[in-house]
This record gives sequence, C-alpha cells and structure tokens, in this order.
Amino acid sequence: MTLVQPMTDFAIEPEPLLLSKSVSKMYGDRVGCLDVSFNLWPGEVLGIVGESGSGKSTLLRCLAGIDTPTAGEVLFRHGADPVNIFDLPEPTRRKMMRTEWGIVHQNPRDGLRMDVSAGGNVGERLMDRGDRHYGKIRDAALDWLGRVEIDGNRIDDRPRQFSGGMQQRLQIARVLVPEPRLVFMDEPTGGLDVSVQARLLDLLRVLVRDLGIAAIIVTHDLAVARLLTDRLMVMKDGRVVEEGLTDQVLDDPHHAYTQLLTSAVLSA
Amino acid sequence: MTTMLRAEGLSKQFLLHTQNSVSLPVFAQVDFTVKKGEAVILHGASGVGKSTLLRILYGNYRPSAGHVHVLHGSQFVDIVTATPRRVLEVRRRTLSFVSQFLRVIPRVSTIDIVKDPMLARGIDPSEATRRAGDMLARLNLPERLWTLAPSTFSGGEQQRVNIARSFVDPTAIMLLDEPTASLDAANRDVVVHLIDEARNNGAAIIGIFHDEAVRDRIATRRLDLTAYRAAA
Ligand SMILES: Nc1ncnc2c1ncn2[C@@H]1O[C@H](COP(=O)(O)OP(=O)(O)OP(=O)(O)O)[C@@H](O)[C@H]1O
Ligand SMILES: Nc1ncnc2c1ncn2[C@@H]1O[C@H](COP(=O)(O)OP(=O)(O)OP(=O)(O)O)[C@@H](O)[C@H]1O
Ligand SMILES: [Mg+2]
Ligand SMILES: [Mg+2]
Repeated sequence: MTLVQPMTDFAIEPEPLLLSKSVSKMYGDRVGCLDVSFNLWPGEVLGIVGESGSGKSTLLRCLAGIDTPTAGEVLFRHGADPVNIFDLPEPTRRKMMRTEWGIVHQNPRDGLRMDVSAGGNVGERLMDRGDRHYGKIRDAALDWLGRVEIDGNRIDDRPRQFSGGMQQRLQIARVLVPEPRLVFMDEPTGGLDVSVQARLLDLLRVLVRDLGIAAIIVTHDLAVARLLTDRLMVMKDGRVVEEGLTDQVLDDPHHAYTQLLTSAVLSA
Repeated sequence: MTTMLRAEGLSKQFLLHTQNSVSLPVFAQVDFTVKKGEAVILHGASGVGKSTLLRILYGNYRPSAGHVHVLHGSQFVDIVTATPRRVLEVRRRTLSFVSQFLRVIPRVSTIDIVKDPMLARGIDPSEATRRAGDMLARLNLPERLWTLAPSTFSGGEQQRVNIARSFVDPTAIMLLDEPTASLDAANRDVVVHLIDEARNNGAAIIGIFHDEAVRDRIATRRLDLTAYRAAA
C-alpha cells in the first residue's frame, strides 16, 4: 500500500467562471434578492438553500440572464476575460446561453419541446452546436438516453408519453448533451417521488463529476444539498446569511437562521 | 521527521441560537504537531471534545480561534482560512476522515462507494474495481453484497464499507473517529493492521479509540484533552 500523492500543479489557481457582484433584484418595493456576491470556479457545485420566498429563484434567474438585476453585475468568463452578461448584445447572450450554459427547470415542460421526439429534444442541442451529420446525432442522442436511463426504443416517442421522472431525465440529457460549462438548476427533483428522486440525484452526481461541469442548484432539501453540492449559500429575506463548505454549514451552522433550518430536519 | 499537521491555538465554543443563545465552551488553546509515521491518540472523558477537535482538523467544524496547517504536497495549507475549493482539494488527496458511520448514497452499490475516492483521484476504473474488491474481501465482506447498496446492511457491515473506502487508497493524513467501535475481534484486527500499514508507509494518524487494547496497539503518542477544557 502506498499513500496518495498530491498533484504538483496545485499552486496554479484557475480563474473564476462566474462572478456575482452585489446582485439585487427588486419587484417594486418588494425584495427579490439583495446584494449577493460570490465567485464560482470551474467544476464547482454551489447550492442555494433557504425558506420559501427567500429569493433563491430570483437570484438564479438573474445569474442565468433570464431576469435583469435592479443593481449589480453578473460576469461570465466567455473567452479570455469575464464579460458582463447584460452588456452583451442580445443574440450573443442567447447564443452563449444555448452553448455554454444549461438550465434545468423544475417543471420539465418548461425545458422540453413537448411536440418533438425524445431523440429530437436531445439532437436539436447538438445541431445548435453545429453538428450536421444525422447518423452521428442520432447515435449521440441514443447514448445520452442510455446515460439518463431511458430505453433507446423510446427515442421516437414524444415527452408527453413519458412519466414525470422520465421527462425530468430527458430534460437533463437535453441540457447536458452540448457539455455546457455551467448548469443552473431550480429544484431539479421537485415534483418527483422519493425513489425517482434518488435515481436522478445519483445520475446528476455522477454526470457533474465526470464532465467537470460547474453548477448552481437551488433546493429546499438539505439532503439533496449535502449529496450534490460542494459549497452552500443560505438565504433569508433576499440576503445570503451564511455560506461555506456544504458539510461545514450543515454540521456546524453559525447563523441563528441556519441553526433553525438544520435543526428542523432529522438528518441531512 | 516531516511535520504533517500543526494545530495552533485551537479553541471551540458552540453558540446555540435556538436554545436561548447558550454558549457551550469545549476547549481552548490546543497546540500540537503530528509528524509523518506517528499515530496520535486523542484522550479524555466523553464530551471533552475529541470528535469536535478531529472535525476541526478536517475542516468540518470551524474553530472559534486558531489554525490547522496541513502539509499538502510541498506547501502548508491552513484548513481554517482556506477557500472551500482548496479544502476539498486537500481532502481529495491528503486528508481523510473515517468515522464509524457510513453516509449511504441512495442507490449506489458497495463496490462503487469504495471506488469513488479512487475515481475522484483519477485512478483507472478497472484498477479501482480490482483494488476495491481486494479490500472488501480483506474486510470479510461477502462478494454477494458488493453490488448492493449498503442501506440495508448491518451496522458492522456498513462500518467495514466505510473503512474499505478510506483505506483502499490511504492519504498522508488519516483522521479516525472510533473506526473499530462495533466490529468483532477478527475485523478489528484487520483494521488495526490497515492502520499500521498506512503508518509504516508514512501516514500521520490522529485517532479516537475507546478500546484500550486497540489504543495500545496503534498509539505512538497520546494527547489528553482534559488539560485544555474551557471554563464556562
Ligand atoms: N415576478 C415577481 N413579481 C413580484 N414579486 C416577485 C416576483 N417573483 C418573485 N417575487 C417575490 O420575490 C420574493 C422572492 O421570491 P423567489 O421566487 O425568489 O423565492 P424562492 O426563495 O425561490 O421561494 P420558493 O422556495 O418558494 O421557490 C418573494 O417575496 C416573491 O413574492
Ligand atoms: N454540532 C454541534 N453543535 C453543538 N454542540 C456540539 C456539536 N458537536 C459537539 N457538540 C458539543 O461539544 C461537546 C464535545 O463533544 P464531542 O462529540 O467532541 O465529545 P467527545 O469527546 O468526542 O465525546 P465521546 O467520547 O462521547 O464521543 C459536547 O458537549 C457536545 O454536545
Ligand atoms: Mg423558487
Ligand atoms: Mg466522540
């Protein structure tokens, strides 16, 4: 038995992939999210937890360029230098969102084309990326259906013929197939029953690790956060009240609200 | 001998906001150094803070004061102030924590749980499979269990899966919180051998063992936390 040797290139720090700088979003005088700053590095998985109405989805929508913040900036490393995503011309931003980002919606209907076959839902994203060879696209679609555990003989079925769990797995395949650098997920296992959730979580865990994708995951489930995320931000009333390594925040919470949140569950 | 870990002025008190903000002091000003090839056993009565200290060394708990310098490759990293991603990198390659409890991942098979840290370190999957199997066999876990998820296993079986996962590819610093707690004599023996093997290969061991006989076999030094007890 020999001991694990640390990498020698450890000193080289890669640059952050996404930078959130004092992002705030107001809805009139109602607070969506307030003054949220953090950096996300390539391959890192960040969880956002907090009670209903604390601003998790609002923040995620601002970070993903779906909503425009009232104040603050979101920078993304697109090419050599970070660019403010809201300064980009609309077509450039749309293209970047399609090819470098992925968004997994809580409701698979929001992320799938319900009138297009399962294979088409996956293959379409490869065509967006510039792939044109029909046979190769179909093979890649089949491969991805397999990875999310959808039987290849369902490739020509429409999503509406699938169960909720299958639709969610198909959405994940559609999002991950172009191998985005960053994925946003809002309650990805929300409406699913517990056994289906467990399969999906394991699938996400392995895919994110194997592809080295960075991800931001909103969830109200601390067990999901523990399983999938490296880092955690806890939100309350639109603000981040505590953040750190996921196991640290869950096992040794310092903020009163985080202590309440972690003591309210039996085990996470 | 090379210093692997240096704890400096570690203090911990818990502030329990949900319980009338009561403050719970545990220990104060703990200093110690652990060198390559040493096995330091943490000592002291139940509640003195042995597990708390071990968790601080791993970066799982945050100390109220102090630092934990860990030799990672050729440089020291302070686990207390390092960024989350750096702590995770140190854990991936230098620092392991083994408790008596396995954190079961839903639906993941025993063999995959044991392979997981090796895959994260970039070891070839077929080699990882072979080594995982050898280690599970060494810990007397019947082969028919390897493809099952351990959620239905007995406490002792789960514990052995956990030990296999950590000792199949040991790191330079191993933190052990009662890893032999509910094992029978034969399996306890295997674990003692695994710990000794890692230490003879240069690992620094910091552990908690309630069994006096196990303690005597493993320890090269003891650290009694009683002297560091913090006043309320
Ligand atoms: N389009 C909108 N118009 C007005 N107010 C909004 C809008 N979207 C969100 N809000 C308000 O912003 C606050 C944050 O809402 P958000 O949806 O971000 O919460 P959340 O943390 O995602 O909650 P949940 O866990 O229930 O999904 C809430 O008070 C909400 O009512
Ligand atoms: N996460 C936590 N939050 C609050 N208090 C904690 C936490 N973890 C430990 N403590 C408290 O810290 C003190 C030390 O506990 P610790 O588990 O470190 O003791 P120990 O020496 O390992 O005891 P044992 O031998 O019984 O395992 C105890 O009073 C315990 O209740
Ligand atoms: Mg929401
Ligand atoms: Mg203990």
